[in-house]
Amino acid sequence: MSPTETQQWQRLAPVALVFLVIDGLQKFIRENLFYFLGAGAGFAFLDWLGPRELFLVVAAILLSFLAWAIIFHRRFRFRLEDDAIRVRRGLFQKRELRVRFARVQNIQLGRPFYFRPFGLVRFSLETPGAAEKEVELPGIPAELAEIMRDRVTGWQAGGMPDDPSTEQEDDSTGSELFHAGSGRLFLHGLSSNQIWVLAGLVGWLIGNFHDRLEDYYREIALVQWLSDAAGPVWLVVAGMIMVGLVILMILSGLFSIVRFHDYRLSDCDDRLVGIGGLLDQREQTVKRDKITGLTLQQSALGRLLGCWYLIVRQTQSGDQELSDAQTRFLVPGLRRQDHGLTASVTPDWITPGLLKPISLHFRRIFWLRWLLVFVLVLVGLAFLFDREHWSLQITAAGMVLWMIGIQLRWRHWGWQADGDCIWVRQGFLGQQLDVFDLTLVQQVRVTRGPYQRRHDLANLQLILPQGAVTIPFVPMDDAAELANRALYAAETAVTHRV
Amino acid sequence: MTETTEPSEFSNGPVPSDRLPDYRRVELNPVARPFYAYSLAVTGAFWLIVLAAVAWIPRLPFIPFDPGPWSVFAMSAATIWFCLVAWIDARRRGWVVREHDLIYRYGVIWQKTVIVPFARIQHVETASGPIERLFGLLRVKCFTAGGMMADLSVEGLDVRSARRVRQYLLEQIREEGSDSDRTGQAPAGDAQSPDAEESGEHESD
Repeated sequence: MSPTETQQWQRLAPVALVFLVIDGLQKFIRENLFYFLGAGAGFAFLDWLGPRELFLVVAAILLSFLAWAIIFHRRFRFRLEDDAIRVRRGLFQKRELRVRFARVQNIQLGRPFYFRPFGLVRFSLETPGAAEKEVELPGIPAELAEIMRDRVTGWQAGGMPDDPSTEQEDDSTGSELFHAGSGRLFLHGLSSNQIWVLAGLVGWLIGNFHDRLEDYYREIALVQWLSDAAGPVWLVVAGMIMVGLVILMILSGLFSIVRFHDYRLSDCDDRLVGIGGLLDQREQTVKRDKITGLTLQQSALGRLLGCWYLIVRQTQSGDQELSDAQTRFLVPGLRRQDHGLTASVTPDWITPGLLKPISLHFRRIFWLRWLLVFVLVLVGLAFLFDREHWSLQITAAGMVLWMIGIQLRWRHWGWQADGDCIWVRQGFLGQQLDVFDLTLVQQVRVTRGPYQRRHDLANLQLILPQGAVTIPFVPMDDAAELANRALYAAETAVTHRV
Repeated sequence: MTETTEPSEFSNGPVPSDRLPDYRRVELNPVARPFYAYSLAVTGAFWLIVLAAVAWIPRLPFIPFDPGPWSVFAMSAATIWFCLVAWIDARRRGWVVREHDLIYRYGVIWQKTVIVPFARIQHVETASGPIERLFGLLRVKCFTAGGMMADLSVEGLDVRSARRVRQYLLEQIREEGSDSDRTGQAPAGDAQSPDAEESGEHESD
């Protein structure tokens, strides 16, 4: 495709309609499912409607989505300029958006299976500060998307892009940093926290369906039959829950394989490229300059399975907690020995051997405070009930667990400063290791409570473009030294103002 | 991460920590005198309203609830206590503009010190509520990257010094911006204006 061709206003391919309808429906279902199923009202509504009306309602919804997609598609235009991309869209209100390439921090190319026969891709750009994907072009020719990607990264490299054709070549020659096979991806799915989300959803659905299934249970006398065969009812129920969990874990593992299939992280000089996915192959490109930190994370289950994942951190969007986790640059399926990856992203980021612990006072004060709270509750309960009451036992057990929890929190906190590079570890059952450069510190906050002042301690909080990192209960002198160093680094560095 | 000076003049030896400027050794400017009155007035007014409510509600005919006279004493004590805290807070509060950053200290029980390098400030604004205006006070707000919690609001400046601080900060930002322009390090879009926070230009027609 010639450069002049890319300069003109362009439209999306007709197949993009499929994506628009699917995407719109997905959002609609996600947003309305809970209202519909909530409190069983939806089922009552369905019973009242009858199948023919139901069909009509569904058809009407589908048709309105199709109509919306057609109008959206007709109105959608985009144009590539020398240093920016311009998008015109809008159903009722026309909007024109211009995003400068220099601001782009993340480029995604998606290849959903239904786009592949037509040689199309989904192209999206993200800039810091935007709540969602800034620009999304669903359904443009792969060739054009690659030209745009190279132009964006070329611009970020400083100055006018080189000839697009040569850039395209160097992309394929990038050296592979990491490859996650299906086994590792399965383990990643097993250990990822999404299975608890799934379990919650399933539990909630079962709760909703329960009334309807009760008669069915009785009819097949499943629990009765199983308990005759296997033992007491609670054992059978526990067994069924376990089986359910195992099924969920396997599903989660398979889901992870589908999402990340054949995941590869490559080093293409000034950018990192991650590619993976079965039904929707995604390629994420991040400029090294725009990386503000890395996070190595391990869930509680991941600890048992020896499974880590890496998150490439960038300037935080408006509402990171709310924004789609899909846009995160996540490298799945790492083992302990893959920690060296951090050094291949930035040579100074070498995983530290030992971390400095935080003060023992952290454990002492929290133990004391919570012990006091629990003892007061226990005394209160002992007055209200007799000493054998179950609430006392539960509170006592809770107290022990809480104390262990504080111990775990304390043991995980750790930090290490090596030159301008800082490592901070925290965790409870799982753990998280953050690494970043002091030059990127946006603000330093030192907080001291009365107890900390007595023991000459402080909480140090470093605010970074990707969010805040806190090191609690460090000796005041260490905190001040680190704060001074961070300020020195930030004030002497010639860094882009993210 | 993006430092590129000529290799020959580039050195990167460790800086001994005792040679780094220590933020603790800087004398802070106290807040403006009217801030004491403002702080006391706002805290006092709030607790006096609560106190009045506690004292008067039981006398209303349609409310059977009567917490007893001790509640009025407790509320009076709380009012005095919080006014005292507000006074101590105003005494402890302080701010200073160093060559390269802004330091702000506040809090009585949890004492906080926040330091913002000029090079990281994205934009600055001043704000004041009606009561603050009555006392001739102005807040200076600094915004940096890092999400919602990264906004710093410096309270307790009188209008003149707040305007001066804002002006100074804006000049510093501009200077830092043109510095990065010269070295060609910052991507062009980032260094153009202190308000470079806006991602892209949104126009609707």
